Amino acid sequence: MAISSIKSFITNTSLYKRAAKTARHVEQKALNVLPDKVCINEKFIKSMDYLGKNFSSDKQRLALGVTALVTQPFIDAHNKSVDEKTRKVSVARTIAKIIAGTFTGFFIRYGCIKAIKAFSQIPAKGVPKYKSLFTPKGITDNTTEAFEQYRNAMGTVVALGVMVFTNFLIDVPLTKFLTNMFIKHQEEDKK
Amino acid sequence: MTSLANLCSKAKTYLYKNYGENPGTMLVHTGVLGWILSAIAQVTAVLINDKISKKEKWFLIPQETADAFINIASFYIVTSSFKNVASKLVSTGKLSTKNIRNFIKEKGIDPAKYIGNINSNIGNDFPEIKKEYKNFKNGVDVVASTVGSIISCNIITPVLRNQYASKTQKDIMSKNKTQEETRFSKTPALSMDAYQKMASVKYSSGNLKI
Repeated sequence: MAISSIKSFITNTSLYKRAAKTARHVEQKALNVLPDKVCINEKFIKSMDYLGKNFSSDKQRLALGVTALVTQPFIDAHNKSVDEKTRKVSVARTIAKIIAGTFTGFFIRYGCIKAIKAFSQIPAKGVPKYKSLFTPKGITDNTTEAFEQYRNAMGTVVALGVMVFTNFLIDVPLTKFLTNMFIKHQEEDKK
Repeated sequence: MTSLANLCSKAKTYLYKNYGENPGTMLVHTGVLGWILSAIAQVTAVLINDKISKKEKWFLIPQETADAFINIASFYIVTSSFKNVASKLVSTGKLSTKNIRNFIKEKGIDPAKYIGNINSNIGNDFPEIKKEYKNFKNGVDVVASTVGSIISCNIITPVLRNQYASKTQKDIMSKNKTQEETRFSKTPALSMDAYQKMASVKYSSGNLKI
């Protein structure tokens, strides 16, 4: 209530109105510069449709991890502002962090989204109460796309809560173990 | 007072209403939440760690906080910008499918005036093709959010972090040199080896993203 009245007060000020008008003007100018693109490739349109429906946060975390393995060690290896020893340790630690973070990040998100799916059934006769623990009030159809996206969002939020703990219980020791392993390999290769 | 059950119910409804039809926004917001929780966890870990001395904590906590700020700000600014630009392109018809474009033409609307106009919104203006529009827009949003997060987390953040870390290292080294020369301090200053050791065992040394 208080937040909405503050918001309404801010949006009604002349300064805000002027800033919003300028922003829209800039946006319009930017839009005018960009070329039109009409997609005619059916495969591309279908893949957009598929990604919108199925690309949840677990897959995004996996995509982030895979691309991180390509870019981050390269950036660390070419960081000329530190000495060679520090550079090697930082590359080893970065690779270890990416592997550990992607491993737990992907599997915990995936597991939590699956779990939320199992515990967000529509309340009905024969459905135990705990199976509709995560079903929002007033939902009668669990096959809609909006409901599927809700399950992904709720699964991700629960996963984030879980990962606050697994960050220390799994990520940290695994990162340390992998870092030491990679440094050992680097030293053996040197010999 | 609001009961816990009531609060949970409100949270479920909030998630359903806000993210049910906006998977791209959900990816951006949960990404930011992930960074915030991760940062809080890292700082807490340093704060409650008995093995880290008070002096080291004075150094590590601001470093962790600055790291977190860089991570969160770059993630939010880059990812949400990518997502917002993509959304605007689709909603104004600048990026569209053949069917959507044909439908607009069939309605007798002048594409030159409608397409790319900041006030146009295909989703609201043409409910008849809302499903096809929504499916396409959600896909583009998700791809844009993911590309934005890859650029932010895997390119911008590591470069910024490396610059910040190397500056911190240099500051420590020059501080050590000054302390050795003037011999003001009775306790030995933080050596380069000690710093490296500390950086390799401390919980974060940058983005341990959850």
